[in-house]
Amino acid sequence: MNRLSGKKIVMASLALLGAWLIAMIASLNIGSVPIPVQTSLRLLTGYVTGGSTGEDPLESVLFSVRLPRILLGSLAGAGLAAAGTAFQSLLRNPLADPYVLGVSTGASMGTILYSIFVGWAGFSIAGGGAVYGRPVAAFLGAVFAIGVVYLIAAGAERAGESSHRLLLAGIVLASFLSSINVFLLTSTNQADLRGIFYWLIGDLSRPVDVSIYPVTALVLAGFFFLYLFSHSLNLIAMGETDAVILGIEVGRVKTCVYVIASLVTGAVVSVSGPIAYIGLICPHMGRMMFGRDNRMLFPTVFIFGAIFTLLADTLARTILSPAELPVGIVTALCGAPLFIYLLRRKGGQP
Amino acid sequence: MSKEIVMLEARRVSFDYRRPIVRDISLSLGPGTVTGIIGPNGSGKTTVLRLLDGILRPLSGQVLLGGDRPLSGLSRKEIARHIAMVPQNGGVYYYQTVFHFAIQGRSPHLSLLGFESARDENITLEALEMTQLAGYLNHRVSEISGGEKQRLLLARALAQQTEILLLDEFTANLDINYQVELMRLVRRITREKNLATLVVSHEINLLGTFCDRIILMGQGRICHQGNVQEVLTQEHLKPIFGMDFAIRQLPGGKVEVLPVINKDSNHEN
Repeated sequence: MNRLSGKKIVMASLALLGAWLIAMIASLNIGSVPIPVQTSLRLLTGYVTGGSTGEDPLESVLFSVRLPRILLGSLAGAGLAAAGTAFQSLLRNPLADPYVLGVSTGASMGTILYSIFVGWAGFSIAGGGAVYGRPVAAFLGAVFAIGVVYLIAAGAERAGESSHRLLLAGIVLASFLSSINVFLLTSTNQADLRGIFYWLIGDLSRPVDVSIYPVTALVLAGFFFLYLFSHSLNLIAMGETDAVILGIEVGRVKTCVYVIASLVTGAVVSVSGPIAYIGLICPHMGRMMFGRDNRMLFPTVFIFGAIFTLLADTLARTILSPAELPVGIVTALCGAPLFIYLLRRKGGQP
Repeated sequence: MSKEIVMLEARRVSFDYRRPIVRDISLSLGPGTVTGIIGPNGSGKTTVLRLLDGILRPLSGQVLLGGDRPLSGLSRKEIARHIAMVPQNGGVYYYQTVFHFAIQGRSPHLSLLGFESARDENITLEALEMTQLAGYLNHRVSEISGGEKQRLLLARALAQQTEILLLDEFTANLDINYQVELMRLVRRITREKNLATLVVSHEINLLGTFCDRIILMGQGRICHQGNVQEVLTQEHLKPIFGMDFAIRQLPGGKVEVLPVINKDSNHEN
């Protein structure tokens, strides 16, 4: 019994949003310069109500460094977690994740190629409209990667086999494309690109430019549209024949979800780089806490992705303080063991 | 059986993909009637079922809902509100509960962002009661037996509240007692809900007992169709299955069919 209602989803989402706020405030205070909670809350209230004086030196640490980074991490984590949930439903495999499938690496290749092209063509990277092309290039790279993965895996007759082949193809493609990425970055003579090796592992420390606005819009819109497909994805998870019988236009739903999930992945990767395993860890946690109904899973995993990435990044910038790790190192350290655990537990079956 | 009302009709339907080819199939299903399709492996029975549910599109001819609405012009959702199907090896998600599996039959009636209402819940519970699964609501699907899984698939189809029910190899892999029980259930529900039911099966004797009409298929064509006693005869069955049958006509239009198994080869063929 216990049918799912909208109320349960709203309650769970609100509880997680509360947890996100707490994590955010905690993260604001932790760092190479510790800021007491009262100070940060006072400064935050001042910022929101417009009563800030701009004199406190901590203010610039708070609002120019930490808050943007926290928001960026939340956005990236939420987007990757939602994309991971979508890929896992489509492929009926809990190991599917934008990073494992090579989609993230494809998106970073798109970003790098675009940046090299822009630099070569003489546009200014920092200003002008050129930055808006970057998420688009990342999206094209993501679509390219998923297309290649499909081509490699095509021809598998049974559904289970084809889902495994897709993962293998994704892993191989990801390692191939990351070699190309390193090659591209090393061979380019553009000084500003040579320094972004951290970004290849997934990094939130780089300052963002105006492309963050379309990226934010894409992640939020992508989440909304993925949510619209959540019940269809529930039925597809049972098997495609069953979904067709129950009235789902399976081909159309799959195409839309692939495109949206790639778009979200591309948008995120264009700013944060391919942060590993977020799309694997967060849906897994979501399923453990809230069950497997995608209508419940999409909103909760979306917020959970924000919390997890924010905490991982806080750890990344404090654990070796004053030195900083890229967040992708921390998520990979958590994600790889989980991947192995899931692989061993059920042979990768959902 | 009333001959005038047609619930689902195929007109000269043909289809061709890789191997099983279906040629020039014409049939119609009426309300309150159980129709059985029988034929050797590869004769196109399942293909016909998939054509009738619109999962496959015919190369020529058309399938008509209610005798006048071509399936090709309807959305999947619209079709799923009129035709329910229990597929062969239907996907059964092992960690779902019986109730959650069955309520998915309400999907074609939900809006895009819709959640199941109390009414959907009641319809699902009724379907589970009808299939004697009301005592298993919170059991996981992995905990129930093979026969109960078949009944669960039937319950999901009933929750769709369609007027047409297609069952593919519904009783396969079950013991004879369970097969009889399931077919009895299917026939009772067909009568009670005035459904047009089509059953694909290899169990000639079972179909001879529980069906009102029989369609005999061989090599992608319908060879004979009509009342059970007209169709299930030695002259019809022998050329299709290549063996002899002992056939006994029973009162009530039913037929008992027993294959005569020759230990050595059937040298006449």
